[in-house]
Formats: sequence, C-alpha cells, structure tokens
Amino acid sequence: MNKRQRVFSLQPNKSPKAVFARRYASHLVPALNKININKTSSQVNHKSFEQTVKHEVDMALALSAQEFAWSRFLQHKLLSSVHEDPSESSKILERSNYKQDDEEGGGEIKKRLKELQKLLPGGEEMNMDEMLGEIGSYIVCLELQMLVLKSLVQDNTS
Amino acid sequence: MGRESNEGEMGFKHGGGDDESGISRAGITSMPLYAKADPFFSSTDWDPVVSGITGGGGGGGFSSSHYHSMAMDNPGMGCFPHYPPGSGSGSGYGNMPPSLLPFGECGGGHFLGSDKNGESVGRLIRAGESHEDHHHHQVSDEGVLGASPTRKRRQTEAESQWNKKAVEEFQEDPQRGSDGSQKKQKAEQSKETMNKESSQSEEAPKENYIHMRARRGQATNSHSLAERVRREKISERMRLLQELVPGCNKITGKAVMLDEIINYVQSLQQQVEFLSMKLATVNPEVNIDIDRILAKDLLQPRDRNTPTLGLNPFSGFQGTMPNISTSTNPQYNTLPQTTLESELQSLYQMGFVSNPSTMSSFSPNGRLKPEL
Repeated sequence: MNKRQRVFSLQPNKSPKAVFARRYASHLVPALNKININKTSSQVNHKSFEQTVKHEVDMALALSAQEFAWSRFLQHKLLSSVHEDPSESSKILERSNYKQDDEEGGGEIKKRLKELQKLLPGGEEMNMDEMLGEIGSYIVCLELQMLVLKSLVQDNTS
Repeated sequence: MGRESNEGEMGFKHGGGDDESGISRAGITSMPLYAKADPFFSSTDWDPVVSGITGGGGGGGFSSSHYHSMAMDNPGMGCFPHYPPGSGSGSGYGNMPPSLLPFGECGGGHFLGSDKNGESVGRLIRAGESHEDHHHHQVSDEGVLGASPTRKRRQTEAESQWNKKAVEEFQEDPQRGSDGSQKKQKAEQSKETMNKESSQSEEAPKENYIHMRARRGQATNSHSLAERVRREKISERMRLLQELVPGCNKITGKAVMLDEIINYVQSLQQQVEFLSMKLATVNPEVNIDIDRILAKDLLQPRDRNTPTLGLNPFSGFQGTMPNISTSTNPQYNTLPQTTLESELQSLYQMGFVSNPSTMSSFSPNGRLKPEL
C-alpha cells in the first residue's frame, strides 16, 4: 500500500514548494526592481531603504502563501504599517527573555506556546491548535523564502 | 480500496473546479476509446455528444498525459456526473451509470500503467487546494483515534503541512494511528481517574462535535473528555512539527520541543532579515532565472518520505537536512554554507553553472556566512 503511494508528480514544477518558490520570486523581483529604479543615491545606505526592501521581502512572502491564515495576517500588518520597525525581531527576543520560570508544569508549555504565538504573524488571534498547524506551513515557507533570497543574493554578487 | 476510489473522486472534483470544461472534455474524449471496447457505446447516441462537445470545446488543450491522469483518477465511474447538463445528451447519460461497472474495470485495465500519475495529480491538486476544507475536516476527524479516516487526516495534514509530500503523510498515517492508540493506552494506565467510572465506553459528550470514546478507567465527564481531545490535538500537531524542525527527532517532551521550535523559527526569521539586508546592497538583475533556482533540486518531491531525514542521499537542499539533523543549534548559522556548496556542486555537474569561477567565490569563508 505504501509503495503505491510513492508517487511522483507529472510535472515537477507543480509541487507545492515549486509553486511557492515561483510565486515568491515573481512577487519579489519586480518589486525590487521597482525600488531600485526609484531609489535615489542618498537612500542606498540609509536604513529606510533596507526597511523598504525588508517590507517587500515580507510582502512577497505574504502574497505567495495566500492559502494560510498567517499570510493574510502578515499582509494586513504590512499594509497597515508601512514604516515598520526593523528591530521587531529583536523585540521578540527580548520578550522571550522576560518570561522566566515562574510557573511550573503545564504553565511552562503554555508559556512556550504563547511565545510561539508571538512569532507567528497573526498567531495571537488564533487558538492553540490552529496556531500549531499554521506554524508548520510558516516554517516551510520561511525556509523556501530563505532559499530564494539566498539565490537572489548569490546570483547578483559576483 | 474504497479509500483509493474516494481519493480519485476528490482529486477529480478539484480538478473539475479548476477547469470544468476541460474536465468534461477529458471525460468525453475518453469515450471513443471505450466505445471500441464496449458495444454499448457504439450506439449513435454518443456521436452527437462527442462531436458536439469536441467541436464546441475545441478539445485540443490537453496533453496526453493530462488526459491519462484524468481518466485514471476515475476509471469511468465518476466522470459522468460532472458533465455539464447542457451538453445535450441527457437521455443518453441517464442510462450510463449502471452500465459503467463493467466498463470501469475495462478502463482500469487500460490505464494500470499510469496509476501513479493519476493519483499524484489528484493528490497534488488536493494538497494545493484543500485549504477550504480546513475547518470542515478539522472538527470531524481529529477526535477519532485509531480507526481514523486516514483520508481526512491526510487532508488536514496536507493543508497544514502544505509542502510536505503526500507520500510522507501517507506513511506517517499508519504510524501515527498506532502511536495515537498506544499513547492513549499509556495515558489511561498512568492517569489517575477523577471519577472511577469503569467501562463506560458509550458516553459521548453532547456538546462536542467530536465523538470521543472514553477508555476504560478514564474520567468521562465532559470537561475532561474535551480536555483530552484538545491535548491529543496538540500532541498531534507537535508530532508533525517535530519532523519539520531539524534535530527534533530525538527530543521527547513538549517543553523542550517547543523551545526548539521557537529557536528555529527565530533563527529563520533572523536569517531572512539578514538576507534581505544583503539584498538591499545588490542590484537585482531584471531577468532572474527562476528555473535555475528551482533546478537546485530543493524542490524535488522525491525522497521526502524517509522517516529519518538523515538517510537522504540526494544532493541539493535535501542534502542539507542530514547536516542539520545531526548537529546542534549553533550549526544553524552554517546552514547557508553547506547548502550553497552542495547546491553549486550539483548545479555545476548538471551544467547549469556556466561560469566555473563563481564556484570559487563560495568557499567556506565566502560572503554568505551570516554575521549575526
């Protein structure tokens, strides 16, 4: 029974990963081109340019994974706050340091689940098992995003 | 076997959702083949249908592989209900379904060779589009352990683990089913019951959608049952996550696992941020070769079904998984290096990288070492 289920797709590019990677690249590259065309030379090393790029990077992620709830949350967040604080990830790290072990037993797990919720865009609006389900797809999409970004960077630095 | 036919129908329906006229075309173009086999179909009733539809639809949109897969998903059986009613031969169709049975086997005999292809298309379609069924299935199947409808379970997994291979899911299912029941038995043995009601196995809490069987010796009031259902759900998800996050295979214990997951997500986010900073400093070319990115073998659906990721012999992205799974946390930072090297090597061997000098720039001390 398991042998039979070892299937290969007819067209390898239709695999969900390939679909996502394609979508992601197709969202990100034109956006980056647009930014680069419009940028002024004074902006290049300024933090705001990096913020813009990061914004587009995240936006491309959100647009490429519309099937998931977290992507919709991410989209809303990005659209509502155009000038995002780039140190958001460090904020997340700080938050995790604040929580010490003041609860025992089930509390520890709950505490970690809450932390995980904060990492996931929109996680705080979800209930626990939904969040856990979404985390899986978020992780995979992050990994794929990383790969596309990596290849973009390495293709263009020579 | 029933499972398989269900899948076939599901896949077919979704495919129909994609391109309904296309599906009907496929179904009808399958007719002439069958027509030769079965004298029933050589009746004149069919001809106007066939010519009408193929004339109207201009049926050349299909590659032969597509046709085969569609036919295979439903060896004659489910094709017909999907035909649009306006296709003109309602009376002809009315007589069809009962006579399809001998016919279906005939069709099955024809297409045995392409069985895998058909199933994969159906499954992939379903995997990509089953998000609509998320809530629908979630409530109905999560609580049923052991004798779970694995098809539905596959669907919830397909959308929650969207990029996971369908094969992996299928292979996990029997494991998980047995694991679930084992876990439950251990839980009931070690758990102290609040109410000592024994062998009340028929009580299903009315307020839950999910019908949960209370095992012998376990508390059966609605609260604890709901609690247990929730806990089972959560541990299900955690098990899935365990396979996603590298290095978690050996970890037992929810808290540590969650820690690992948190660390992993944070490191991924940090790496993305770092990469986007780097991206800000380069000028992206207009023509990014997406196919080249895809050709890096990271997106091959093969071989993700190994239960232990360390056994992966393929190069490329998949080759990084064993690196990670056998290492500890700090090695996340060295991930890009190993990925690049292995990817580049595979690329170079495949002849994609035309410029061998680029390889030298990606030495272990190359630029892409993240400095965090």
